[in-house]
Amino acid sequence: MIRRHPFISLLILLLLVLLGWVWHERVNLQAFPDIIAAYTAKEYCSCRYVEGNPADYCLGYVKQYVPTSAFSDNPEKHRVTASGLGRTHSAQWLGQREGCRLLP
Amino acid sequence: MFKGLLYAALLFTLTAHAEPWPEKDWSQGLPLTGPAAKALDDYAFPPRDDTTRKGIRTDALLIIRDGQIIYERYAAPTTANTPHLTWSISKSLMATVLGVAFGENRFKLSDPAARFYPPMKQHPSVTMADLLHWASGLDWQEDYEFAPLKSSVVAMLYTRGRHDMAEFTADTTTVSPPGQAFRYSSGDSNILSATLKGMLGHKAYIDYPWTALFQPLGIRNATWESDADETFVASSYAYLTARDLARVGLLMQRDGRWGDRQLLPKEWVTFNRQPFDHYKPGQDEAVPGGQWWLNREVQGAAKPWPDAPADTFAALGHWGQALYVMPDEHLVIVRYGDDRDGSYRHNELLKRVLAAVQP
Repeated sequence: MIRRHPFISLLILLLLVLLGWVWHERVNLQAFPDIIAAYTAKEYCSCRYVEGNPADYCLGYVKQYVPTSAFSDNPEKHRVTASGLGRTHSAQWLGQREGCRLLP
Repeated sequence: MFKGLLYAALLFTLTAHAEPWPEKDWSQGLPLTGPAAKALDDYAFPPRDDTTRKGIRTDALLIIRDGQIIYERYAAPTTANTPHLTWSISKSLMATVLGVAFGENRFKLSDPAARFYPPMKQHPSVTMADLLHWASGLDWQEDYEFAPLKSSVVAMLYTRGRHDMAEFTADTTTVSPPGQAFRYSSGDSNILSATLKGMLGHKAYIDYPWTALFQPLGIRNATWESDADETFVASSYAYLTARDLARVGLLMQRDGRWGDRQLLPKEWVTFNRQPFDHYKPGQDEAVPGGQWWLNREVQGAAKPWPDAPADTFAALGHWGQALYVMPDEHLVIVRYGDDRDGSYRHNELLKRVLAAVQP
């Protein structure tokens, strides 16, 4: 098998290594796409409602290399929602001492 | 008449020599001027590019000498009233809050963390001192931006750990025996926060940073965010104005004393400022003490900031946040920033501050 199909054998080996790595990192890989939406919602919320900075400044402040696909800020409810890599997260401002927290 | 003037002059001299403390606000000292002050300005506040976000981007620079403001400058939108995110300065703030609890005999440095925080029964021999030295021995990955997949901090703050950050940390496996190796860990700091909750009970804990530290110091505008389990995020999420953070600096400069009151036991401040025995030079940007950073020579290696005195110590945070304390120089320096590259240098700023304060 190896002698007759050296390239296919190599590909199968690489695939197995890749699958092994995916299995090994399954918990991290599953959580990974959540980072950008959660980061953007939480840090924008704090920038805007804890630090009291202007909205356009906070949008620039939370900008990362990974783009977000949707973003909304509800100033009456002090609630910020962001989406990216297929996941959506919201952060809520709770009060002057408590600041912002990601919603479950 | 002449006698009256003499008395007035004497009274003035006496007040001038008294130790100034900030009341409702800081009093102003003689402001820094001249070419050295200009050189400091030029370093800290170069033209700012908010599109590329390159270079040194100082949000606030505040210098206190002998308890009075001698320099203060902000870059928009940060102002004197902005409670700025301190990131990892929060760790040193939690250590200071813990110092008050230590003074109330609520724990000893040799106490196992598990005594106050049951999830640490998985690691029964980790002590309060080990956590304060970032030496729990837990297998923690501190990288932020460069290894987001493996980063324990990112997972703790934003994904798997965010509901209960201390428990997320306590569930980490061990990499070395506790107390034997330095491994900078935001997780260790959050376990400290959870132990404080265990000492006080939830109700008293929620008010404790304010009742124990902020209110005695006259800090009126502090925010400290907590996780969903209502444990303060001691690793990252305290917000203070530059002027309020400088109050904590002055408390530390004066060995834990605020006015007539010894708020932190001197023994506690000594512990904060004592290098961790098993730290190896070069493991981090400064020498770790008890949740504070020190400018000390260790094991023959030079001081991390060669132009600053050896008694300099600091609380440091992500993206350029810093609170520097120089007890012998009677200086407290708060520097807030938004540095997105590594161009800012602690030593260069401190060197220019020291040049500017020379008479």
